Amino acid sequence: MLNLFQSQLTVPLLLAEHGVSPEAMPLAGFVTNSIFVGLIVLGIVYWFVSGATKNMSLIPHGKQNFAESVIEFLYNQVESIVGKKVAPTAFPLLATLFLFILVSNWFGLLPGVGTIGWGEGTGALQVSEVEKPLLRPVTADLNATLGMTLIVFAVWIYLTVRETGVWGFLVHTFGPKGGLKGAMGVVMIFIFFAVGLIEVFSILLRNLTLPMRLYGNIYAGENVLHTMSAMAGNNILLKILFQLPFYFMELLVGVLQAMVFTLLTSVYIKLSTEHDEHGEEHH
Amino acid sequence: MNVILAANQFGLSVPNLIAQIIIFLIVFFILKTKAFGPILAMLEQRKQRIAEGEAKLEKISKDLAEANANAQAILDKANADGNRLVKEADESAKALAEKKQQDAIHEASQILAKAREAAQLETDKARSELRREFGRMVSDATSRVTGKVLTTDDQSRINQETAAQVSL
Repeated sequence: MLNLFQSQLTVPLLLAEHGVSPEAMPLAGFVTNSIFVGLIVLGIVYWFVSGATKNMSLIPHGKQNFAESVIEFLYNQVESIVGKKVAPTAFPLLATLFLFILVSNWFGLLPGVGTIGWGEGTGALQVSEVEKPLLRPVTADLNATLGMTLIVFAVWIYLTVRETGVWGFLVHTFGPKGGLKGAMGVVMIFIFFAVGLIEVFSILLRNLTLPMRLYGNIYAGENVLHTMSAMAGNNILLKILFQLPFYFMELLVGVLQAMVFTLLTSVYIKLSTEHDEHGEEHH
Repeated sequence: MNVILAANQFGLSVPNLIAQIIIFLIVFFILKTKAFGPILAMLEQRKQRIAEGEAKLEKISKDLAEANANAQAILDKANADGNRLVKEADESAKALAEKKQQDAIHEASQILAKAREAAQLETDKARSELRREFGRMVSDATSRVTGKVLTTDDQSRINQETAAQVSL
C-alpha cells in the first residue's frame, strides 16, 4: 500500500543517496516530496506566466491570448458569484486557488509522480512497493490543502469585516430576522442566537471540510491508480488498460476539485458580504 | 491529544504547513503581479479601445450622415440655382433675341425708308432732269420750227409750260 499519508523528506533522501548528510544542508531538510512538487508547480506557473505576459500587446500573441481568455473567464465567474464590488479584491486569491489546485492535481497524474521512489529493493532499479515516493501531488498533502484553507479563512475574515464590519457580521449572524415583536420576538432572539452559534461552528468547520475534501479526493485518486496498476501485476498492457479510464476520470476530478474548492470559497465570501451589497443596492 | 495524534496520522506538521503556505503565497504573488494585474489591465485597455472605436464609428456614421445631408442640400441648391440660371438665361436670351429682332426690324425699316427716300430723290432728280431735257428739246424744237432765236425768257417760259404739261 502506497504511503501517501506521510510526507517524505525527498531532498534529504536524495542527498543521502549521494552520501551527503542532512546536517550539511539544514535548509533543505524540510523539503518533502509534496513541497518539492509544490516548488515545481510554482516554477511551471512562473514559466507560463512570464511567457504569457512578456511583450504584451493589444493584439495578443498565442500564450497571451490563452492566458487572457482563462483569466477573463475566471474573472467573469468570480464576479458573477461575489459581485462587482468584492470581485477585484477576491479575484486574485480565487483565481490563484483554482490555477494552483488544477496544475497540482494534473501534475500528480504525470508518470512517475508517486511511482518512483524508495522501497524494499527487488532488483536493479526495482522495488516491491514504493514506500517513499520521490514526487507526491501537492494536493494529496493535507499540509498544502490546510495551508490554502487557512489563507482562505484569513481573506474571508478580512473581506467580511471590510464589507460589513464586525458589528454587521455579528448582527448578520446572531441577529433575529423576520421583525417579530413581543414575546415571540424575545423567543426569536434566543433561537437566532442559537442559530448563530451553529453558523459560527459551521464557519469554523469549513477549515476542516475544505482541505479534507480536496485532500481526500486527490489521495483517493492516486490510490485508485496505484491499485489498478497493482491489480495488473507485471503485464504492461493490462496496466495501461486498467489505469487509462481512471486517468481520464482523474483529469476530470482534477478540474472538478479545483472548481469545487474555488466555488465554495467564492460562495463563502458572497454569503458574508452580500448583506452590505444588498444594502447598497437599496440605497 | 487525540487531535494531535489524528493530525500526525494525516501527516500534518507545522513546518510543512508553513512551507506549503509560503509556496502558495509565492504563487499568489507571482500570479497577482505578473498575470492578473497586467492581463486585467490589458483587458480593460482593450475594452476601452473597443468602446472608443465604437464611439468613433458612431461619430463617423453620424458625420457621414451629416455630410451626405449637406452634400444633398448643396446638390439640391446647386440644382435649383442651375435651373434658375438656365431659366434666367433662357428668358434673357429670348429677350435679347426679341430686342435684336426688333432692332433688326427697326434697322431694316430705316434702311428701307432711306432706300425709298434715296430712290424718291433719284426719281425726283431724274424727273427734274427729264423735264429740263423735255423743256430744252421743246425749246430747241420750237426754235427750229419757228426759226427764231428764243430769248432766255422765252426758253424759261417754254420750259415751265412743258414741265407743267409733262406728267411724270
